Amino acid sequence: MKYILMMNTMKAGQGIPNWAGKDLQAHIAFMMNLNKDLRDSGELVSAEGLSFPDQARLVRAGKNGVPITDGVFPESKEFLAGFWIIDVDTPERAYAIAARASAAPGPGGAPLNMPIEVRPVMSAPPPEMM
Amino acid sequence: MKYILLMSGTKGGVDHYQAWSQKEVQAHMAVLHSINKRLSESGEFVATQGLAELKEAKVVRGEKNGIPVTDGVFPESKEFLLGYWIIDVATAERAYAIAGQISAAPGPGGVPTNMPIEVRRFATFEQSGSK
Repeated sequence: MKYILMMNTMKAGQGIPNWAGKDLQAHIAFMMNLNKDLRDSGELVSAEGLSFPDQARLVRAGKNGVPITDGVFPESKEFLAGFWIIDVDTPERAYAIAARASAAPGPGGAPLNMPIEVRPVMSAPPPEMM
Repeated sequence: MKYILLMSGTKGGVDHYQAWSQKEVQAHMAVLHSINKRLSESGEFVATQGLAELKEAKVVRGEKNGIPVTDGVFPESKEFLLGYWIIDVATAERAYAIAGQISAAPGPGGVPTNMPIEVRRFATFEQSGSK
């Protein structure tokens, strides 16, 4: 079963650019180690970090499908900072991996305990919708 | 440059969608399939997925010793990810144009849904784990 693990943060990067270099290195090393373990176990489909929200755009189709872009976001909105797509046998395994990602170290090495949203990926649209 | 196009909606929106007629759903899906086919042909397609129902969603935090604590309760007003496209395009404008096409997919009565599509570029400053 495929799952997507979504790491959301409030506002731009939650201050990550202001972390000490050592803290940032420890955080990235933790994430790279997690990704390596998932790759070794054959459970990693993909993992990506997203650029900061200042580059994010909201697009709607205008007349004739011309894109209308909007870069203004309320400060309170949660932003997707990155995600993992994993292929695991059980939901419990997906939750265990999410918990490991949640415990990634922040400033001073303390676990961030970030909330990670876990969603099953649909295999395909139901036949009646095709 | 890789971008992810995020299609989000509220619980109310999902309930509304589930009330569409089969013909309307088929017309909507046909347009999305056509967009996917053209992206494949242009070499810009990386991946697309729809996500399963909200009742299966969980929020997980790691507690002591990394034991997962799951929470399935969501406020009614929250926006949820319904699905996404990952594309590899030459410019941001091309990513916006594709998002515009998706936004224009037809809804009830063939009227474009004009759903907002969030466009986010993949970060290149840290590790990329994609196979």
